[in-house]
Amino acid sequence: MVDVAVIGAGQTKFGNHALGLKGMWAESAENAFASIDGDFEPSMVDEAFIGSIAFGGGQIGNTAALLTEHTGMDNIPVRRVENACASSGFAFRDAWMAIKSGQADIVVAGGIEKMNDLTPERKRFWLGVSGDTEWERLAGLTFPGTYALMARRHFHEFGSVHDDLVNISVKNHMHGLDNEYAHIRKDVSFDKAQNGFMVADPLTLYDCCPTSDGASTVILAADHVAKKLSEDPIWVLGSGAGSDHLALHDRPSITQLIASQRAARSAYDQAGIDASDIDMAEVHDCFTIAELMATEDLGFASRGEGGLFAREGRGRRNEGSVTINASGGLKSKGHPLGATGTGQVVEVFKQLRGEVESSRQVRDANTALTHNVGGSGATCAVHVFGRDLK
Amino acid sequence: MSSNQCINWQGNLACIQQDGLVIKSRHTIDGNHVFGPDSDYTTLAVSGLSLLSEESEINTVTVSDNIDKLVLQACGYLVDEDGEWKINCANDSASISISKGVEMDWEVPGEETDRERYDLIKNAWLQEMNAVSQGAFVSEQAYRSGAASRMNFSSQQLGDIRIWPPREMIGDQRPVDAPPLGQSGIIESWTKLSAGGAPSEFSLRAPILGGIGTVFVKMNDGPRGVFLIADDETSEPEIGKVVSFGLRRIYAQDGLIRYGLKALIS
Repeated sequence: MVDVAVIGAGQTKFGNHALGLKGMWAESAENAFASIDGDFEPSMVDEAFIGSIAFGGGQIGNTAALLTEHTGMDNIPVRRVENACASSGFAFRDAWMAIKSGQADIVVAGGIEKMNDLTPERKRFWLGVSGDTEWERLAGLTFPGTYALMARRHFHEFGSVHDDLVNISVKNHMHGLDNEYAHIRKDVSFDKAQNGFMVADPLTLYDCCPTSDGASTVILAADHVAKKLSEDPIWVLGSGAGSDHLALHDRPSITQLIASQRAARSAYDQAGIDASDIDMAEVHDCFTIAELMATEDLGFASRGEGGLFAREGRGRRNEGSVTINASGGLKSKGHPLGATGTGQVVEVFKQLRGEVESSRQVRDANTALTHNVGGSGATCAVHVFGRDLK
Repeated sequence: MSSNQCINWQGNLACIQQDGLVIKSRHTIDGNHVFGPDSDYTTLAVSGLSLLSEESEINTVTVSDNIDKLVLQACGYLVDEDGEWKINCANDSASISISKGVEMDWEVPGEETDRERYDLIKNAWLQEMNAVSQGAFVSEQAYRSGAASRMNFSSQQLGDIRIWPPREMIGDQRPVDAPPLGQSGIIESWTKLSAGGAPSEFSLRAPILGGIGTVFVKMNDGPRGVFLIADDETSEPEIGKVVSFGLRRIYAQDGLIRYGLKALIS
């Protein structure tokens, strides 16, 4: 079966944008096209998958067609992919499958979200649309509340503490400080993160990612094309995905994400590796507790030891066996919902090719992972990448 | 329970008398009983009926117009114009009489509440009635169809497993209807959302209340659920604490007040 590589990847800065959907997509696509080593034209793209929640409702229907027509990909099959915050993680998986199936040679996977042109009231409404509407939202829960329930339970079951989450917050802000694409580029002290404004007890402002505008674009190619168009393709070694009950009350445990575990297992098996082989991971830290649980679900820490992992600083850049969220993660880099998944791939693509700012380069990184979660864990896509095709 | 026993019941003041029961909000302004932040005549009526049904059989009830009849039906009470039990709402007081005969009353002191806060909440509810959803909301049809489950813990059974909220499964996973769950459980987790972190449906009241509290509960019958804590709850939530349940207003939208269960911390 054909192997698949990422041959180009680009994004906008995540944050508050003056540009709208079309402008952000154009900038992101242009950056991605420019990153391709060989002679490439947008007209060479066979198909496109674009992840978005269509936050705010500005362009809910046919979003993908509107965007691709502005970036030289006329008349090709396109569609919007929606799986909450994992939308573009799944768009990437769909693109990978399209090539794997033999139906396409060059496919675009991307994501986009415009979140900051809304009134606070409208924004609060849209921030809750991906949870269980009938039972959780009616009980006053949005995602800060949902993850707060997980955090408090994790503290209770495993003895993790809020300071463990503070460590994650401080680390990710430190990682994102030099990332020119990051939304929040500021050094955050332990003391400051420890004493943030309470959003959903026990989670403070420093445990929550920002709401960001942004777009990201990745170009995937079949091996025979990749070798022609790229001097240094980044190979997709494994693609895994999973799902779980939407509502927390239907899950046997709220201190782990079964969808993440399943997606990771599948991706590792495909790649023929395990967690210990991963040099860097971009994980879905929409809230700091989400990163803590991800380190367990992805196998970097044993069950219940995510707090200890964070406490010992084992995810810090170039300090442990794996760097967690070298980009700054959702916490610092930002979280434009639909754009986050392929935004993680952009970071991995550049890190593995040695193209990020030297101050934040992960040393000797050969194998990387992306972990993109939808909502509170109802969906998850995990991908494993390598400099070499194994 | 013996007659003329007066108790604190689901956060209200209730007195069972020889011919029925009087139930009042515990909140007062200048001695007059006023509704709590998540309560009205409908919630008082359901609270009173649940207490009365521990002593007497409740077959049919007659209610006045300021009580939501569909809510009473969802809670398992048959509403009829010539019902055996008459529910009378006091004109200018948060007080209800439930009796087979004449309307009853009962003088009891309450807890004085802050008038300004009371007015703010009252006005917020009025404003909320005009709120229109932008989508991804619980439609009236969905709300009505889930009412017995949402307000009375109507459940399902699959083998030895009790299921709540109800599921619509297929094949050999299809559950059968089962009696309501017992109204007690244990807190497994909890949070308190700041006004900024609450869903937009609560955006008018959450700032007045200082945020909203939510508990994740394992019911004694097995299922788990997420519930709002009573807005006037005085006990702090804690993992392992026992909770019981009462009916509350949740939010209003499109001119309809949505009711559901609230957790009362023991």
